[in-house]
Amino acid sequence: MNRDEIPPGTLHLLILRSLARNGKMHGFEIAKFIERVSSDVLRVEEGSLYPALQRMLVKGWVRAEWGATAENRRARYYHLTALGKKQLEVEVSDFERVMGAVARVIQTA
Amino acid sequence: MLGEIWRRIANLFRRGKFDRELSEEMRLHRELRERELGEGAGANSGVTEDEARYEAQRRFGNELKLREESRDMWGKNWIGDFFQDVRYGGRMLRKNPSFTAVAVLTLALGIGANTAIFSVVNAVLLKPLAMEDPSRIVYMQEEWQGLYPGMSVGNFTDVHQQSTSFEKLSSSNNASFNLATQDVPVRVQGEVVTAEYFPTFGVQPIAGRFFTAEEDKPGTAKVVVISERLWRTRLHADPAIVGQLLRVNSTQTVVVGVMPQSFDPLLLKSDVWVPAAFTAQQVADHDDHYLNVMGRLKPGVTMAQAQSELDVIATREQQLYPIDDKGRGFHLTQLTTTLLGDQSRVLWLMLAAVGFVLLIACANIANLQLVRARRRQKEIAVRVALGASPQRVVRQLIAESLVLGFGSGIVGVMLAFWGVSWIVADGPAGVPRLDQANVDASTLGFACGITLLCSFLFGLAPAFRSASTRLTEAFKEGIGNSSGNRDRVRSALVVAEIALALVLMAGAGLLLRSALLVSQVNPGFDASNLTVGRIGLPDASFHDPAVARQAFERILTAAAALPGVQSAAVVSRAPLAGGGGSNGLLAEGKQVDPSNFINANLRIVSSGYLSTVRIPLKAGREFTEEDKREGKMVTIINETLARTMWPGENPIGKRFACCESGPKGRMDPVWHEVVGVVGDVRAWGLDRQVQPEFYLPINQMPPSSWDWIGRTMDVVVRTPGGAIPANELRMAVASIAPGVPIYRLSTMREKISGTLEQSHFDTFLLAVFAATALLLSSIGIYGVLSYMVAQRTREIGIRVALGAMPADVMRDVLWDGARLTGGGLILGLAGAFVGTRLLSSMLYGIGSTDAITFAAVAVTLTVVALLASYLPARRATKVDPIIALRYE
Repeated sequence: MNRDEIPPGTLHLLILRSLARNGKMHGFEIAKFIERVSSDVLRVEEGSLYPALQRMLVKGWVRAEWGATAENRRARYYHLTALGKKQLEVEVSDFERVMGAVARVIQTA
Repeated sequence: MLGEIWRRIANLFRRGKFDRELSEEMRLHRELRERELGEGAGANSGVTEDEARYEAQRRFGNELKLREESRDMWGKNWIGDFFQDVRYGGRMLRKNPSFTAVAVLTLALGIGANTAIFSVVNAVLLKPLAMEDPSRIVYMQEEWQGLYPGMSVGNFTDVHQQSTSFEKLSSSNNASFNLATQDVPVRVQGEVVTAEYFPTFGVQPIAGRFFTAEEDKPGTAKVVVISERLWRTRLHADPAIVGQLLRVNSTQTVVVGVMPQSFDPLLLKSDVWVPAAFTAQQVADHDDHYLNVMGRLKPGVTMAQAQSELDVIATREQQLYPIDDKGRGFHLTQLTTTLLGDQSRVLWLMLAAVGFVLLIACANIANLQLVRARRRQKEIAVRVALGASPQRVVRQLIAESLVLGFGSGIVGVMLAFWGVSWIVADGPAGVPRLDQANVDASTLGFACGITLLCSFLFGLAPAFRSASTRLTEAFKEGIGNSSGNRDRVRSALVVAEIALALVLMAGAGLLLRSALLVSQVNPGFDASNLTVGRIGLPDASFHDPAVARQAFERILTAAAALPGVQSAAVVSRAPLAGGGGSNGLLAEGKQVDPSNFINANLRIVSSGYLSTVRIPLKAGREFTEEDKREGKMVTIINETLARTMWPGENPIGKRFACCESGPKGRMDPVWHEVVGVVGDVRAWGLDRQVQPEFYLPINQMPPSSWDWIGRTMDVVVRTPGGAIPANELRMAVASIAPGVPIYRLSTMREKISGTLEQSHFDTFLLAVFAATALLLSSIGIYGVLSYMVAQRTREIGIRVALGAMPADVMRDVLWDGARLTGGGLILGLAGAFVGTRLLSSMLYGIGSTDAITFAAVAVTLTVVALLASYLPARRATKVDPIIALRYE
């Protein structure tokens, strides 16, 4: 993996979807959600969430606020913006289109 | 989109907070994971706190790298990274003070010298002339038999009337004037100009106005326009100067305007401009060719178009004036080229030469950098291991080079200031606009540019070498032999340095030898203990030729009577004193056809001239007091004229016609009989070709010749005692012609030096550059060989242990040095053969591939290179095999 870039697409898609499902989450919660829902199949290097989240902040797809966890620990909570919701739709449809094409290629073999 | 840009900018100000918050966020994540792992398996045995923490850490990833990536999401921090690199580079340079000192000194010298020379090139050649749109201003000359004389008044007037290509067309004639001020009378330079002169250049006066067309007519009131310099220095910057009267050439003239300091269109340093006011007689004259003619092309008219129109007019003039204008055409050039063209070649050569010196300096620094790069391999390897991309490493090394470069650049610019002021103060007098050289914005821009270029030149190669470091290699202990590649680059650099140095030395050597040959040239007369001064009688009080001649004879008598003066004479223009005109001579028996006229320089002399100046008489006799106007008209010619006019024959007794017409009109020749032949005199400079010359006795001068010489003659005195009776001369002149100064008073030796001033200066500069280049190259050889010896310490140790003699070891190192030198010599000689051709116009007595010079230069370089190789060679013999072999 090139050190300078986070592969776009899948990680962003997962994060956006997580936030769409759960409203406000902090980084660890997002990681746990992805783990749980994908039945531990998807277990990315957890730190890579953070650059991805920063990028989404830059792009305006999410916004972040500091808040408190249940145990009163300071954590940064992220939530989707309207722009982010739109981006999620775009990414989902892209993903499905690509995956569909791949599936078709596999089937014809 | 906009929101994104806004967010990115806003983030620039939150860097510190950003880092802290991100760090906290990441720490929380790891701790939560750690707790989860600890809890989850806590019930089971085996997972300790430490193991949980380690696992959480491992799953999280490299925090530093992730933080950097997160930061990078907000935009590559080029500027922040760059400053970090710069600070780091500065630290590395400080840690290695000997390298830094040597590099900065070398580079600063190189940059400083280049900047200084560039400021001269800028001031003399590149800056546009101080007038409106100089590219539209053209200079017009006549063209006749390969010569380019000035325009005659007649031709000028006709062109002015008939041509449609010029918005403005004007003429100027340089002249000097006596100006009576409160104290002593002074001689000022000026120009006699037509009314369209000032409008041609489009520069406005700072006070008053120009002359009108009315004032440019003969017989009107006398007016004058003065320069800001004259106004300031001699007229006390009188604010009410416009309208004041000035006594110019004993005539009261009204000051109508003052021109700004920058106004000097023909670079003559003129202080006064008076109207030409051509008379009808002058307008009809197509025979005297002396006017400078300048024109401003009409918009849309090209020089080629104007030239074709002039060719048509020239044809017409040839038909109308078959004698005066036969075979005569008109020639246009850009005024800029006319004024500055001579300087162009020399100055660009100087810049190229000093550029070579800089290249050599950069090569040395590059070599030093390559050595350093080798030593820094470990440092680089660590940085690569910590996650630096090769790109980042290269960037940092280049930043370090930039720090070195700009540090040297600043020192270099300071040196340039000093260099430029020295050049302006001690530089040759004949170079136009040299006094305007200074370190201004464009010069600083040039300095920045070459600093950048140099930084890249000596930074790039080592940077790339370092970036491709392989980690395993770097951490290996034991240096062993250096990679062959790197040695080749270093050797190539040194060979190139030597070649460049040789080219410079060849050029300098040629100029030096040339200067030596020139200094041995016999001027054709005895130039020692001879003093020359010039006196110009004003037309108003000395218009009558007889009165003018009488005045000069009285001055001559007075001068001859002064204490210490052995003999004195007057001559229209003394050799090497500047100025002089020529006439066309027609030998008796030749057809009256312009192609049979031979152009020769005229000198009007008193009878004692030849013996005063000690020009050898080759045949016949000198002038005597008996040669008066009533009798036979006589002349003395120089050997060149004798050879040209009557090749192979004895010229004594032969006659030619020149200079005036007989009573019957233009076609009635006045014959002059040759009574003597004298040796050639190098009147235009020791290194200039001798021209045909003829002498006329002052008693037989054509009356109109007083106008040709402007009633100005040189007084020549020989003072064997050496002392110049300057004050006595001045008083003598003042008593005979009050208000008339004697000017340009100096010894003949000084005048000769004056003609050689520029070539001596150029030779001096080039010699300095060549010496510097030689020094730097020898340092280069020394450096490379020292390094080679250090690299091969083990090998040498083995050889010595096996029985090699010190002589063998030394011989090997010297042989390496010889190979480098030899390569450089061959390349350099080849380059010099080609390159010095550019100098051929500046050389006297030798060709541009003079064998003696090349041989001398090659030998010098070889000797110096050998000396530079000797020290490392000696060090090689001191290698103790025990220590060398232990050095693992």
